[in-house]
Amino acid sequence: MRLPSGVFNVSYMQDMMVFRTRNHRLGIAGLLLALLAFPAVSSHYFLVLFNTVAITVISLQGLNILAGYCGQISIGHSAFMAVGAYSSALLAGHTGIPLWFCMPLGGLAAGLAGILFGLPSLKVKEFYLALTTIAAQFIVIYLIKTPFPEITGGAIALHVPPLAVGGFIFDSEVQFFYLILPAVVLSTFLAKSLTRSHVGRAFVAIRDNDIAAEAMGINLYRYKLLAFFIGCFFAGAAGALWAAYVKVISPDDFTLMNSIWLMGMLIVGGLGSTLGPIFGAIFIKALNELVVLASPVLSAAVPQIGGQISAALVEMVFGLTIIFFLIYEPRGLVHRWEILKESYRLWPFSY
Amino acid sequence: MINLVQLLATGVSVGLVYGLVAVGFVLIYKGSRIFNFAQGEMVMAGAFLTWTFIGLLKLPIIPGLLLSFLLAGAVGYGFERFPFRPMIGQPILAIIMATMGIAVFLHGLSILLWANYIGIQFPRFVPEKMFYPLGIPFSSVTVGSLVLVLALVVVFSLFFYFTRTGLHMRAAAESHQLAQSMGIRVTRVVALSWAIAAVVSTVAGFLFGYTRGIDTGLANLGLVAIAAALVGGLESFKGALMGGLIIGVAETLTGFYVGRGLKEVVPYLVMVAVVYYKPYGLFGLKRIERV
Repeated sequence: MRLPSGVFNVSYMQDMMVFRTRNHRLGIAGLLLALLAFPAVSSHYFLVLFNTVAITVISLQGLNILAGYCGQISIGHSAFMAVGAYSSALLAGHTGIPLWFCMPLGGLAAGLAGILFGLPSLKVKEFYLALTTIAAQFIVIYLIKTPFPEITGGAIALHVPPLAVGGFIFDSEVQFFYLILPAVVLSTFLAKSLTRSHVGRAFVAIRDNDIAAEAMGINLYRYKLLAFFIGCFFAGAAGALWAAYVKVISPDDFTLMNSIWLMGMLIVGGLGSTLGPIFGAIFIKALNELVVLASPVLSAAVPQIGGQISAALVEMVFGLTIIFFLIYEPRGLVHRWEILKESYRLWPFSY
Repeated sequence: MINLVQLLATGVSVGLVYGLVAVGFVLIYKGSRIFNFAQGEMVMAGAFLTWTFIGLLKLPIIPGLLLSFLLAGAVGYGFERFPFRPMIGQPILAIIMATMGIAVFLHGLSILLWANYIGIQFPRFVPEKMFYPLGIPFSSVTVGSLVLVLALVVVFSLFFYFTRTGLHMRAAAESHQLAQSMGIRVTRVVALSWAIAAVVSTVAGFLFGYTRGIDTGLANLGLVAIAAALVGGLESFKGALMGGLIIGVAETLTGFYVGRGLKEVVPYLVMVAVVYYKPYGLFGLKRIERV
């Protein structure tokens, strides 16, 4: 990482710092304060948007560890969100254990499911692995829909018990905002810390060349499964949070398309960087909303085309966005952000 | 007993169509090392396209089919130019995601163009008739699709092994650089394999669409075909067909004996099992990796 001119690292501690300069620290503190004050100035619409994006970011941090750092492509990530959502909701609904206690357990269940479906990663990789995770996607949704519809709610819906801590019930958007904001900050912090630890370095080594990594003494068996566990734990926790937030879940919330969307967000944001998931989720969600806003105008202009124009346009724009990013900015928005920071520091002496 | 034989026959005829799509998938893989996740959407869009010509515009069957194959082939040919040529040399994840981008785009496009038409079907032009070879009942549609798929496979094999272009394709599958140094235009070969895959998907979309109606669910069938290609091993056409047959039969049998829900998952279960025990499929080449 380049530093502003005049700032030099003279100790390892300084070299390892995430927020190196005072401006850095002020900036991040200001951002957090601004976010805390966000519900006071925001309309309901933006609050809902923030909450959904933030939950997506939590899930994406997991996918980023799995795919971005460890290089294990997963196209079944929303299935693991489903595991978290359903196991926490079912546990709370059928045993009476409070939901807040079940939510981490949901994450744990998703992590274990991740290990199960990660087992093939020990033998196959790349495309083959991508397809086994797609298999996970279909198998999980099947398990929710078919064998025990009276318990899992089947294909239709499952009502999630209210999220209550003590006597306080989380109900409104603002209340959920103050639950989700710490959660997203915590998960980002955890993801960042993990990738700076020896575990994170092992993941990167496996991503870059797993045979070389093994030759260097990294236990592939252990670390690949660990990556699956951690990645899917994030997904499960996000899923459980999502279930508590929307209160009614159905298998249609966790389709293959959702998994592709998650992967696409990560691509657009930038793989292998903690900021990537945040940028990607915000960018894609914003684009999505813009298209939804624009589509009535379009359908008024060209009335011949179908009734589901916004659904269609959202997908088309998303598909094209992925392709354009892959061709023109494969390192994602994070890379642009780095360039921007760099030129700000060097200004006016750009080169 | 008759029932079982009949189920097997249905499984084989479904499986052959899966095998056909899998052949298209393997073709692209061999030609360019690209895993085409858009195969399912190509099947679906192909079915809609064919329907537009012979169902909506009421063209006669044969010209309608030919026209849709031509159009699908042209679109497939174009895919090589964009987005895949600018992406040569990018990591595997990027390529997979690009095909997914195409998949999502085609899905959206199909909704945009055809979402207004619900519950559509191809006009019935095959006379409903039952055949009784050895006393086992077969519908004329089953026999027809069987014949069509087998004919296509034979044509493919002949094309692949006895024409100049087929030779070029086999050479490019071996090594792009080597093929290029022998004066083969690899980009054209790759584009051609995309075109053929698109046509094959359209045929499969037509066959599936004829028996079960045309909707966006056809995309999932294309995904099943990818599982079939994996079961068979990505390097081999024979494997793709065999994988299709295995998956088709397994699917039909579970559909009958267990239930519809499991039927949709069985292909993936079979695939995971096969990949776990034989990572490169039943007929695939075992790759040796070096640092």
